[in-house]
Amino acid sequence: MAISYWRRRDRYYRLLGNRCTQCNSEYYPPAYLCRRCGSESLVDVEMPTTGQILTYTILREVMSGFEGQQPIVIGIVQLDNGVKVLGQIVDTPLDALKIGCRVRLVFRKIRDESNVGQIYYGYKFTALC
Amino acid sequence: MARVIISSVGYTRVGDHWDKSILDLAVEAARKALKPYPNIRPEVIIVGNMFSSQSSKQEHLGALLASALNLTGTPAFKVEAACASGGVAFNVAYSKVRSGEVSSALVVGVEKMRDLDVSEASLALSMAESAEYTQFMGASFLSLNGMLARLYMETYNVSRSELSAFPAIAHTNAATAEHAQFRKAISVEDVSRSPLVSDPLRLLDCAPLGDGAAALLLTSEEFNGDDESMVEVLSSKISTDIFSIYERDDMLRFNATKDAASKAFSEAGISVEDVDVLEVHDAFSVSAALSVEAMGFSKEGEGAKDAARGLYALKGRYPALTFGGLKGRGHPVGATGLYQIAELWLQLKGRGNVNQVEGCRIGVAQNIGGVDTTSVVSVLARR
Amino acid sequence: MGSNPAMKTPKDAAIAGYGVYIPRYRLPSEEVARIWRGGEEAPLIKKAVAALDEDITTMAVEAARRALKMAEVKELGAIFVGTETKPYAVKPTSTIVAQALAQHKVLASDLEFACKAGTEALQLILALIGSGMIESGLAIGVDTAQGRPGDDLEFTAASAAAAYILSKRDGDSIAVVEGASSYVSDTTDFWRRAGQPYPRHLSRFTGEPAYFHHIQSAVKNLFAEFGYKPSDFKYAVFHQPNPRFPVEVALRLGFNLEQIKPGLLNPYVGNPYAANSLLGLAAVLDEAHVNDLILLCSFGSGAGSDALSIRVLDGVEVKRRKAQNKVMDMLKAAVDIDYATYAKLRGKIVG
Repeated sequence: MAISYWRRRDRYYRLLGNRCTQCNSEYYPPAYLCRRCGSESLVDVEMPTTGQILTYTILREVMSGFEGQQPIVIGIVQLDNGVKVLGQIVDTPLDALKIGCRVRLVFRKIRDESNVGQIYYGYKFTALC
Repeated sequence: MARVIISSVGYTRVGDHWDKSILDLAVEAARKALKPYPNIRPEVIIVGNMFSSQSSKQEHLGALLASALNLTGTPAFKVEAACASGGVAFNVAYSKVRSGEVSSALVVGVEKMRDLDVSEASLALSMAESAEYTQFMGASFLSLNGMLARLYMETYNVSRSELSAFPAIAHTNAATAEHAQFRKAISVEDVSRSPLVSDPLRLLDCAPLGDGAAALLLTSEEFNGDDESMVEVLSSKISTDIFSIYERDDMLRFNATKDAASKAFSEAGISVEDVDVLEVHDAFSVSAALSVEAMGFSKEGEGAKDAARGLYALKGRYPALTFGGLKGRGHPVGATGLYQIAELWLQLKGRGNVNQVEGCRIGVAQNIGGVDTTSVVSVLARR
Repeated sequence: MGSNPAMKTPKDAAIAGYGVYIPRYRLPSEEVARIWRGGEEAPLIKKAVAALDEDITTMAVEAARRALKMAEVKELGAIFVGTETKPYAVKPTSTIVAQALAQHKVLASDLEFACKAGTEALQLILALIGSGMIESGLAIGVDTAQGRPGDDLEFTAASAAAAYILSKRDGDSIAVVEGASSYVSDTTDFWRRAGQPYPRHLSRFTGEPAYFHHIQSAVKNLFAEFGYKPSDFKYAVFHQPNPRFPVEVALRLGFNLEQIKPGLLNPYVGNPYAANSLLGLAAVLDEAHVNDLILLCSFGSGAGSDALSIRVLDGVEVKRRKAQNKVMDMLKAAVDIDYATYAKLRGKIVG
């Protein structure tokens, strides 16, 4: 996990996706080939840091590696450039969550390998509603 | 092209097999399938399995099973496509017989899930999704379906009790199915009042974790001689969609299922109206609803509502989940697609006992991996 | 050499932007008193508590991103993170911050000096710019301070971050450091041994020989060297471990309450250690006018103080309009929590 995380840290830290140089379609996660025009020419670009919730769930039983964090709110957010991104939604009272809420990108710990392993950081969202 | 016949089936009951290993289960199902035809030595063995590496620290299942069955020398290998592993393994076996490359094939689906903690099983299942961008964020497979369910209910104004209809149908049928994990009927209210696990999904919206194995012996026509009620595979098609739902333009469209179904129906020369019995991938109530919509049994947004209206009940127009589906019979992931085929075989052979759909002739099975990222749709007919 | 010479601060280096991050959750001191003191009256403060998924790295990144946005600086030459609550004993937080800001050609390091590592970071960046080694740099004071459950420190030990971008002075600069004076001695008032989760302290000893002696010495030296008197300053911000000490030291040094009030955040935030006085400075810069003079004096156990005189420059108005979050906004966004939630968020429940 440590190495696969290292490889993607710019993606996770800065929401670094990519953009097709032919048709300007943007992607996060980055696309290998443009899904719209098929172009092979894509360049890295940071995604916008605000958007709105398209859907969300409150996960009450977490996967191995996320113990102690439950409940986790997970959402699919449409960023202001139209790209849909999956991420946790934090610091928002559960009863305030709703589809359409504006959100802003934040930098958080994703998981922590107890007290001896690595700490994995990345983006999450916080609702502005 | 050879006609492909399902000569026999074998399976274990789904559930907690504390005393059986992944190989024990696979061998049990395989031997049951081979038993009626002691003179057939399958020319290929294909194993459908998703995460034996996680559950049993075991790979190389093909040769492992071949050796255990005293079938060394036989080509044998594992096929993996997440929860569609069983359906895809069936498709591969079917293709080999159909093409004439072999005249008999043993296909075995197996999964050992209960050796894992729930949180470990959840991690294993999340491997169906992007490890880098979905699993990393803590989004389990359950949570993706939770989000899908919220979007589905919101978009199509689906009520809680309508969403509960598929699980209730599944359990009604599972109550009288000998091999089902939960032989217990539950009501729509039971589903709607069960504990929230990933809202709006509740515990009883979701298929359980269970161990199990199912096997089929596929043969070309000549082995089956004058059997009056042969079950023939008319078609089997696989399709795939953009990997993660959040990368798709419309998250509520099961495009892979739609595509696979349309091709499978077309090749089989059938239309939706011809289908007498239906096994859909009801890993979650919402996935059942979206599946029947994608295949054309219900209109968009009407899947759960149609289930609530009785369309998919055993006595409905399109009897579905006739032995409990994933929810009631259980969902030993890599075996699920083969349980579906085996159950259609029972129906088409008229061996469904109290679960029998009277006079059925055409059966359809739909098995998906990921959130309809891979879909396999197969059409079977009684000859 | 004369005694206690003040530092010659570079006049061509200035604050170009600042950003603070205060986590959303607040633990009222009554909650600590309820659990550990049988409900006995507690100092009326609320301390900022970081969420389950926050640590100094995440808060440093949040504050730094805000500071960068305000400063509109493209490239940094150095990043120093002052903290005493590093999540890794070995592995710099400053490199994670650098990666998150996409700044790689930087001198990066973590500094530790109890509650004063933030002002140290700021002075080191100043020096690097003044010497011509770098054009711009980032200084962060950040902590997720923890008191042992039941200890007096638990009422106040808090979480927050304050980040400052310093750059070559130009028309948009916010403030310049006119003078600086540091004072240290070997005084063990508060410490945490390596590998231990919670610090120890010598209770009343933390006042007179530690806090008061070092702050008063640093400020008096600064005044002597530069000829300042308290009335020269519009604002004064002292390290504020509790609501009482900063008031007491201000009065002793001849300041009045009006001067310290705008930068006195302890009742609303608690003591976020290395972010403490830098947070107060940010609150003052949020409202200061051109040419105002600000006294900033940190204190770190162990022990020492950095006293800085800071002159507000013409750019303050324009830059402030670019700021995303004022300190006051973050104070308003607070949500009170109970002790059980605090215990969950700060990992005091071991599963």
